[in-house]
Amino acid sequence: MPGDAGEVRVLDGVCFSLAAGEITDIVGPSGSGKTTLLRALARLLPGVSGELLLDGVPADRVLASTWRSQVALLPQKPAIVDGDVRANLLLPWTLKVRHGQTPPDTEHLDDALLGVALADIALDRDAARLSVGQQARVALLRVLLTRPRVLLLDEPDAALDDASSEAVAALTRLFVEGGGAVARVRHRRADGLAGRRMCLQAGHLDAEVKAS
Amino acid sequence: MTDTVGGVIAIGPVQLALATLFVVFVGVVSIRLSLGITKDLAWATARTYVQLLALGYVLRWVFRIDSPWLVVGLIVLMVLVATRILVRRSPDAPPGIFSGAFISMALTGFIVTFAVTGVIVQVDPWYLPQYVIPLAGMVVGNSMNGIALSLERVFSDLDAHDGEVLALLALGATPWEAAHGAIRGALRAGLIPTINSMAAAGIVFIPGMMSGQILAGADPVTATGYQIVVMLMVAAATALGSVVALLLTYRRRFSADGVYLEKGYRPDAR
Repeated sequence: MPGDAGEVRVLDGVCFSLAAGEITDIVGPSGSGKTTLLRALARLLPGVSGELLLDGVPADRVLASTWRSQVALLPQKPAIVDGDVRANLLLPWTLKVRHGQTPPDTEHLDDALLGVALADIALDRDAARLSVGQQARVALLRVLLTRPRVLLLDEPDAALDDASSEAVAALTRLFVEGGGAVARVRHRRADGLAGRRMCLQAGHLDAEVKAS
Repeated sequence: MTDTVGGVIAIGPVQLALATLFVVFVGVVSIRLSLGITKDLAWATARTYVQLLALGYVLRWVFRIDSPWLVVGLIVLMVLVATRILVRRSPDAPPGIFSGAFISMALTGFIVTFAVTGVIVQVDPWYLPQYVIPLAGMVVGNSMNGIALSLERVFSDLDAHDGEVLALLALGATPWEAAHGAIRGALRAGLIPTINSMAAAGIVFIPGMMSGQILAGADPVTATGYQIVVMLMVAAATALGSVVALLLTYRRRFSADGVYLEKGYRPDAR
């Protein structure tokens, strides 16, 4: 893929599949291209070539925005927009790709906040004043509320304390139990959630550990 | 020592020389205090002389020839030069914005200028150079500043908030939806100087065109009418030009697939 230093191959011959109902952890030394891989899966990497399929349907058959709403990437840095927590959680429904869909109601949002140990956060709280860890959870919640098929998490708990990373883990498990597929990039110690671990090194992906 | 031309005290070589003494004085001060502005000042003074004298003779010639083609050609030339300046002043902008900038400047330059001369002032013939050229100059010059500010702002803003842009795209946003916040901010940034000068006009300063007309012996109230028309015209031109320029250029920072091209992903990095 083209980069600022001319043609640079960060990923080369990577081939794998994510199964519904399973969490796959992607590990590897920093700078090995884990984030790049997640972006490629979400069709958010310019100048990449390769083949992506969702349920056997090639990615180029659907609009990029539709693909991204189904294969949802949660970037490492939580992106919080101006406004309160409610506005942030409902942001996806202001987009054309979800035109005609009903956004979740207040009760649903309150329940959802409870699920990420944010029950004490009022929906009308200014989102910019939340802590980094709270913002990360709001961002995760926002993606989950859109009910994607595949969730790509880039270090979802890097900025979190143990209690809130447990809440994130519980939510992730709930998503998988509901039939979703998850790929996680993680640096923290294995939390026993992943059914599979793959190691990205020198542009190649190897199945590292076959767990349970 | 003073000649009058049509009721106006004329500026001759003696007056020009006297005015230049001011600049020479500043130059001497600059050398004494080693302020390092002497060279720039001399260069700028020379340019002012050459460019404005040339302009005076060109305008005299254009007014005498009295041809619609010449007037239109001159406006196109102004737009071209302004576009070049504008593109050079936007180092953060993606390459290839020249056409977008040119189209937006040309559109506003012609539409706003001829709307004013044709509908409001109703000059006859429609291309009357004494009216059309100075008005076009003000429209093009001011919208150039506004557009330059807008373009500079939108692309630096997108870079500063590329994480937010990525998150929005990841939620399924189109490039327009992902860039909308930056575009809004850029439009404001482009319009602020115009709005400020409208608010301060008449209280803090006498606007340039009105000063000119008063010096040329016009009745202040007549000059006011023209100045109001010009200020509204400039505001409209700046807003219209910025909107068109932003709409025509923001997409260049996104790939065909709608991915924002962050700094590391620009094949044509400058």
